[in-house]
Amino acid sequence: MTDDLTQLTIKEASRLLRLGSISAADLVTAHVQRIERLDQHVKAFLRFTPEVWEKQADEADRRLRQGDAPPLCGIPLAVKDVLCVRGVETTAGSQILKGFRPPYTATAVARLFEAGAVMLGVTNCDEFAMGSSTENSGYFPTRNPWDLERVPGGSSGGSAAAVAAGEAMIALGSDTGGSIRQPAALCGVVGMKPTYGRVSRYGLIAFASSLDQIGPFARSVDDAAITLSLMSGLDPLDATSSDRAGMEVLNNFGAGVKGMRLGVPREYYDVKGIEPGVKSAIDAALAVLRTQGAEVVEVSLPHTDYGLAAYYIIAPAECSSNLARFDGVRYGMSEVDAPNITEQYLETRRKGFGSEVRRRVMLGTYALSSGYYDAYYLKAQKVRTLIKRDFDEAFKQCDAIVSATSPTVAFPIGSKTQNPLSMYLCDVLTLGGNLAGLPGISVPCGTSHGLPVGLQVLGPQWGENVVLRVARSYEEASGVKTQVADVV
Amino acid sequence: MLARIGLEPGDEEFYAGQLSGILEHIDRLQQLDTEDIPPTAQVVEIASRLREDEPRPSLTQEEALANAPAAVNGSFRVPSIQEET
Repeated sequence: MTDDLTQLTIKEASRLLRLGSISAADLVTAHVQRIERLDQHVKAFLRFTPEVWEKQADEADRRLRQGDAPPLCGIPLAVKDVLCVRGVETTAGSQILKGFRPPYTATAVARLFEAGAVMLGVTNCDEFAMGSSTENSGYFPTRNPWDLERVPGGSSGGSAAAVAAGEAMIALGSDTGGSIRQPAALCGVVGMKPTYGRVSRYGLIAFASSLDQIGPFARSVDDAAITLSLMSGLDPLDATSSDRAGMEVLNNFGAGVKGMRLGVPREYYDVKGIEPGVKSAIDAALAVLRTQGAEVVEVSLPHTDYGLAAYYIIAPAECSSNLARFDGVRYGMSEVDAPNITEQYLETRRKGFGSEVRRRVMLGTYALSSGYYDAYYLKAQKVRTLIKRDFDEAFKQCDAIVSATSPTVAFPIGSKTQNPLSMYLCDVLTLGGNLAGLPGISVPCGTSHGLPVGLQVLGPQWGENVVLRVARSYEEASGVKTQVADVV
Repeated sequence: MLARIGLEPGDEEFYAGQLSGILEHIDRLQQLDTEDIPPTAQVVEIASRLREDEPRPSLTQEEALANAPAAVNGSFRVPSIQEET
């Protein structure tokens, strides 16, 4: 019985809660029991927040009794370790922030709390969200619930794994180059990155500020849509947040794809390294969308081959600047007894940062340094314009773009850690969406060798409703339901 | 040194090898003619917004120092930045 409660969607759980068949406390207890049984294997969570969930579940039950339950009343939520929650240890997966308790709560999280969500804990991720496997966590790697010897993807691997394993009903992640969509694909759940500016970044520990967006993981497209709509909208505390109403992401999103034109970029369809099993799952998904009345057309994104290179200048450059704040003075780890301030910086950052973070800070510092700025950072920003123009042109010929989310299924732990470039290639189909600021979703579309494959849908800026419409139509017509992994 | 990250023996060769592989990949950008292309720094068009210049609550001194590795007399403690004479 209790395990059954961990297989529900928001819609199903909300119905039972409102009927009084279950309480928020029942729902939370079911998830906590599942965590106690499975998370020793999956290791999705870095820490648990019983003091938060007890209070929030009580409040949810009180509001249910009063009949004024908000939309996410009692829904169990997991939060990636890059989103600040007041008083809850938040470390960005890094030793350098061990023990840090933020004095404020990220807007996206606060809005889900207001909507009644119940926070179960903090999920693991690659350190400062830099990685595609969650192996760069400063604590331990998370495992894929479908095969514990494989990675869950990353950087939001803990959030994706928690939802896939039935340890949380929804989760929050952040996506800078694919860090929501790629782990969603590898774990067989729905994950969505909104348009840049849709969700306030206030309280998100910054990685690359011009690319970062916060988004949801869920077990259905409907759940992702409702969660996103509730966390979106203007926030005076983030100057890049848009004043568009959050509810517009739901506009017409149940209308189906009949008459829509879906573009398949040939550079994505035949991307180097795409596995045959992934390709056939995508072909089958395109066939389903055609059956629903969509027209599938070929489009081109001619600068795709330059995307990774531009990304690996822009993201490290911005991170080297953002991570300069970790100086051992105001918070986090510190070599306080160093003989001088320079030694304090050098030793704090050598000990506190893992090797991927060090690599990117060095790369970014180099790309921004005097004499190299024009050749690297400025050049990359110009190529970013070309990539954005590619998408603008493509969206003249189609309503949405569809492709695989990741060229491969989940790979074995340790198989890409020695070669950074091979790891970076995991994001080759997702990072274009970040460079161009587009909304994108990954929705499960079957398996290859028993492991989940994700279908990516990208839309024009502010076209979340279009993206959701395609994903929902596919989900409904294919009958591919997001499954909860058995794990053990 | 600019990155302000200390290196251990052997680190230099380790990172130099990996970074030159990444830079080699990045060098493909030089194939593109971008002479007349404007750079993109901000990808969505959001009008600059100004807020009213009104005081609002901020962190208390206690909250601001709560995470400090070393605090003394209500301040962050850091090593001396000037040589003693």
